[in-house]
Amino acid sequence: MKYKIAVIEDDSVIRSELEKMLVGNQYEVNALTDFSNAAENVREWKPHLVLLDIRLPGESGFSICSEIRSFSDMPVIFVTSSNTDMDELNSIMLGGDAFITKPYNQAILLAKIASLLKRAYPADGQEQLSVCGAVLHLENSSVSYGEKTVELTKTEVKLLAYLFRHAGSICARSDMVEYLWDNQMYVDDNALSVNINRIREKLSSIGLKDFIKTKHRQGYLV
Amino acid sequence: MNKRLYLKQRLPMVLLQAVCMAALSFFLYLNGNSTDSILLILLAWVLVLGIFLGTTYLARKKRMEKLLALTEQLEERYLISEVMEEPRQAEDLVWYRILKMADKSMLEKIGEVERERSEYKEYIEQWIHEIKTPIAAMKLICENRRLEDAGQQNVEKRRLEDAGRQNCENRHSEVTRQMLVELEKTSHYTEQALYYARSEHTEKDYSVREISLFPVVHRAIAENKYLLLKQGVRLMVEEEEVSVFSDEKWLCFILNQLIVNAVKYGGKEPAIRFYARREENRRILCIEDNGIGIPEEDLPRIFEKGFTGKNGRTAENNATGIGLYLCKRLCEKLDIGIHAESSEKGTVISLSFRINEWIYQVQGD
Repeated sequence: MKYKIAVIEDDSVIRSELEKMLVGNQYEVNALTDFSNAAENVREWKPHLVLLDIRLPGESGFSICSEIRSFSDMPVIFVTSSNTDMDELNSIMLGGDAFITKPYNQAILLAKIASLLKRAYPADGQEQLSVCGAVLHLENSSVSYGEKTVELTKTEVKLLAYLFRHAGSICARSDMVEYLWDNQMYVDDNALSVNINRIREKLSSIGLKDFIKTKHRQGYLV
Repeated sequence: MNKRLYLKQRLPMVLLQAVCMAALSFFLYLNGNSTDSILLILLAWVLVLGIFLGTTYLARKKRMEKLLALTEQLEERYLISEVMEEPRQAEDLVWYRILKMADKSMLEKIGEVERERSEYKEYIEQWIHEIKTPIAAMKLICENRRLEDAGQQNVEKRRLEDAGRQNCENRHSEVTRQMLVELEKTSHYTEQALYYARSEHTEKDYSVREISLFPVVHRAIAENKYLLLKQGVRLMVEEEEVSVFSDEKWLCFILNQLIVNAVKYGGKEPAIRFYARREENRRILCIEDNGIGIPEEDLPRIFEKGFTGKNGRTAENNATGIGLYLCKRLCEKLDIGIHAESSEKGTVISLSFRINEWIYQVQGD
């Protein structure tokens, strides 16, 4: 199921780029352009999460938030350019779940969204990804193929998860390094190769040979 | 009040009295008065004159010293004309009026300057908030474009093996990456301006609460991700659970500045290590780099405003002398000790947070 996110932001460039980014990360997005009855729209569309700017023309994000709170306790993230304590305090008092200041760091914003969604809508069932019979178990960091299972380290799980999510397309090395950085694992290019080789060894030990292909000068492919 | 100067200024009057005395003695002598009676009159005269001079001097001195003490007690000394009592003497009254006039015009001037300053500060803060929107937009555009490129690259790849096109796409993504580095710098400088505007004023814009140290470190790293990746900086974060009482936003800004500095004055294979130390009553966060270090003679002055030092004055570094000064100021406000040690092998900056062991014992940490 795709999570639905409502974006309430008055700057048109940011609005469309946020939309693009969220759609690119497998969310369904509705970016409102009319703020006069934003809360009404939110009530009708029933998103799972709302991204809300504080300064809107003719409206304040705070009042929209308190309106939303009157009928729902869905997660609300305030995104704003003013990082004064007053605004932060206000946003918490009115029931905002997070407060992110512009210019936002994409990784932090996405992580915040993901963690709020996870908290608000606990996933039923286990988290796993599978490609061609190989199953990656995120909850106990292991990968299995057929009967066999092998344990993975923290970095290896993240790397494999990234490859699994982008199965069928080439993952550039630099993108993979960035993804690991976003997850607070600061590896460099060499360490990436070392990790990939270790994963390959582990995969071949459970019968998955040449599962990760190297595309010369471009990256890796699952 | 200087006694001699006071008496010297009374000299004309005293001389006049002496002349009068001589004239009176002469007149009385001619009228046939006895020398004894003349001497008696002169003695009485001198006595009265002496007492008069002495008492006026003492009274005046007391008054002036009181005024002086009052002025010294005042925090804003220019306000003395508002609090002093109105003098009685004609000349003093004129001085008093002049002082009042001078004060009034100065107060007007101060008010004007203060208003201008606060208006300017308000404008700067507002401007910074406004500039953040386009920066955020640019960042988003770049990051989306980069992802799109990667996506397009793959589609393209599968459709036709066009090497030329591929190269072009790769370059494109390289350009956006460079843009992202520059954008990180831009937003860092804007933050710097914001904190500068705030640090100059006494108003409080921070809230101290219990925070975990390492998530803030990660946040500061994330804010400099593209810069660090571009420079190929090796990061070591020796994470552990350390909590301190501080303000997250300000701390993040300080760390940000320290990271930027570590990269700026980094060595050939730059590396930055973050680790924490525990001491009695203190938690210390260290940021260690393996850069070119700070010359010993510069070390004591690096936190001074406008100090650039030997390393900062080279053309490519172009230091402003603001960054570390701001760090120091913010640290002072948050009661964080900031300390630098340096050798040719690198620099260690340590931030030391005061903690109250007693609170921890009560809370059972």
